[in-house]
Amino acid sequence: MALHEILLQQLFNGLLIGSFYGLVAIGYSMVYGIIKLLNFAHGDIYMIGAFCGLIFLTIAAPVIGAGWPSLIVGLLISMTLVGLLGVVIQRVAYRPMLKAPRLSILITALAVSMILYNTVMILSAGRYRVFPAEVGTESFFIGTLRFTETRIILIVAAFTLMFILHMFITRTMYGKAMRAIALDRDTCQLMGIDVYKIIAITFFVGSALAAAAGIMAGVYYGTIHFFMGFLIGLKAFTAAVIGGIGIIPGAMLGGLLLGLLEAFGTQIPFIGTVWKDVFSFAFLILFLIFKPNGLLGRAESERM
Amino acid sequence: MLNSKKLFILFLVTAMMAFGTFGCGDDGPADDADGEVLIGIMVPTTGSEAADGIDMENAAKLAVEEINARGGVLGHRIVTTTGDDGCDPSMATAAASQLVSEEVIALVGGYCSGATLPTLAIYGDAGIPFVVAASNATSLIDENPGWAFMINSTGLDQAASAVDKFIALGVETIGVIDSGDAYSADLKAQTILQWEAAGYEVVADDTVQRGEVDFSAFVTTIMANQPDAIYWTGYQAEGALLIRQLREGGYEGVIMVGDGSSAQELIDLAGPAAEGVLCTGPPLTDFLPAAQSFIENYEASFPREPGAYAALMYDATMLLADAIERAGSFDSAEIRDALEATDGFEGLAGPIMFTEQNTLARSNFVILEARDGRWALVE
Repeated sequence: MALHEILLQQLFNGLLIGSFYGLVAIGYSMVYGIIKLLNFAHGDIYMIGAFCGLIFLTIAAPVIGAGWPSLIVGLLISMTLVGLLGVVIQRVAYRPMLKAPRLSILITALAVSMILYNTVMILSAGRYRVFPAEVGTESFFIGTLRFTETRIILIVAAFTLMFILHMFITRTMYGKAMRAIALDRDTCQLMGIDVYKIIAITFFVGSALAAAAGIMAGVYYGTIHFFMGFLIGLKAFTAAVIGGIGIIPGAMLGGLLLGLLEAFGTQIPFIGTVWKDVFSFAFLILFLIFKPNGLLGRAESERM
Repeated sequence: MLNSKKLFILFLVTAMMAFGTFGCGDDGPADDADGEVLIGIMVPTTGSEAADGIDMENAAKLAVEEINARGGVLGHRIVTTTGDDGCDPSMATAAASQLVSEEVIALVGGYCSGATLPTLAIYGDAGIPFVVAASNATSLIDENPGWAFMINSTGLDQAASAVDKFIALGVETIGVIDSGDAYSADLKAQTILQWEAAGYEVVADDTVQRGEVDFSAFVTTIMANQPDAIYWTGYQAEGALLIRQLREGGYEGVIMVGDGSSAQELIDLAGPAAEGVLCTGPPLTDFLPAAQSFIENYEASFPREPGAYAALMYDATMLLADAIERAGSFDSAEIRDALEATDGFEGLAGPIMFTEQNTLARSNFVILEARDGRWALVE
């Protein structure tokens, strides 16, 4: 493989990882936009999504198999359940803290994260679990570029979900209400918008997307475990900051960009795979210093 | 205002990374009432290496049960307490301090070399003899203050086994990858040294972090350089993903893994992609003629198979009991001297005697191959 072919392959690898980051980053960004909370439990929601998918496939496999049809059903069911879990977490843990100082709700989010991953650690005995999806892993080549059916379907699915979300935010009344609340919560309340209902919907949508990313990661990598959400939570946070936290297209863009940065970064001589995370978080620091509003954020908007 | 908040977030992220550890050890009885002696077990019982760790803990308990059934040591019953090192250096130091404070008279265990490494000084300072059952990085030798005894062959022997096997297979170029911890980095470095000394070439060399799930960058490098063989020196959780992604990426050469990946879990997690993978393994319990009754007893006591290191852990515990008998006292220094003087103690995995550096005085590595979803003995 010549250098340009290696880079092209890495472009494709980066897009796939980037779309996972993007899906998780969207939830981060939506919640931040609407209640100014950095939801550190969001990575664990992603992990719970993967485990939901695992449980569904284990139950469904003897009945309808574990191929794409049952994966799609599993994806929808898990998205719904995990979305509802997000709503419950919001209702029980975050809503009572909405009027409290910002630090309190942040610490609550850390506590929720610990509760979630420790619960799954106990239930899964702390072991790695095989994600039982039976999908094609045969690779085919276009030129020297390697593709698999699974990777292509996963990328298409991720972009479809992002597109549906974009339509939801820009074309529906709920989406309009979310954007309005992000601008000015008190005025929205005065205008008769049911703010708490919209917050609940935001958590539902964000959590459902994270669950989808979790299942897709399970299909792609083949194994899942209770701590898988920690690192991707931080990466998604980085992606959200890069794109401009609180801005949904920014989260998608930031996720894809971070995936690509990592994929190309590992090809730089002497950086290699072991420095991948250092590379990502160095970008986080650079963005926080030089462009704290992110790529799509406007400097004058006072969002904090 | 805005910047200070961003800085706070930054601080928080850093703090979360620094304290990204989890779990804790279980509290055993610290009781040293008359007629009982307390022996510590240090293995990972949570985290990615919990499978092997729990197997080892079970094996030690089984050995203790047998010792107690025949009257204990020097007329005392053995009681055990377990410290969970989580295969993590910081958790291991905490577990070691806890075990020391419980006043154990001696220790068995040690799975992940990276986790075992910082504990050697702690046990050395406290003057507690430690029979290391599995950890085998050569870096342990330099850090050993003289109280630890390694009954598994070291990374040097393992690298030699790997290099011999590659040469026998006609391999000319290899790619190596480790996971950055003491054990896997050491094994990789020893392998590169011996491979290049034999006049061959390493065409790809990479390191990933523990917990990495995405090996696409390494796979791309591999497909570009096409080495005849790949040697993974890390543990099974990452190894299984690497094998899947290499095979999915179209790599058709030889894949070999080190003894950190010799658990059955590697094959279970990697699925069909594991077929034909080679392993420079420890003397797996299944293949030891002397261990058949041990396997039966183990499976009768615990609802699982003994796993790769159970036999070594059983040997470690039996050796310790034997050393205490030979020392004729529970004095730590005398137990250590007795361990040092061990001469051909017959363990399940073969005779044990130590070099001047307290390492096993022979190589015990074998080559395994994954066939039909199980490890099979090749040579």
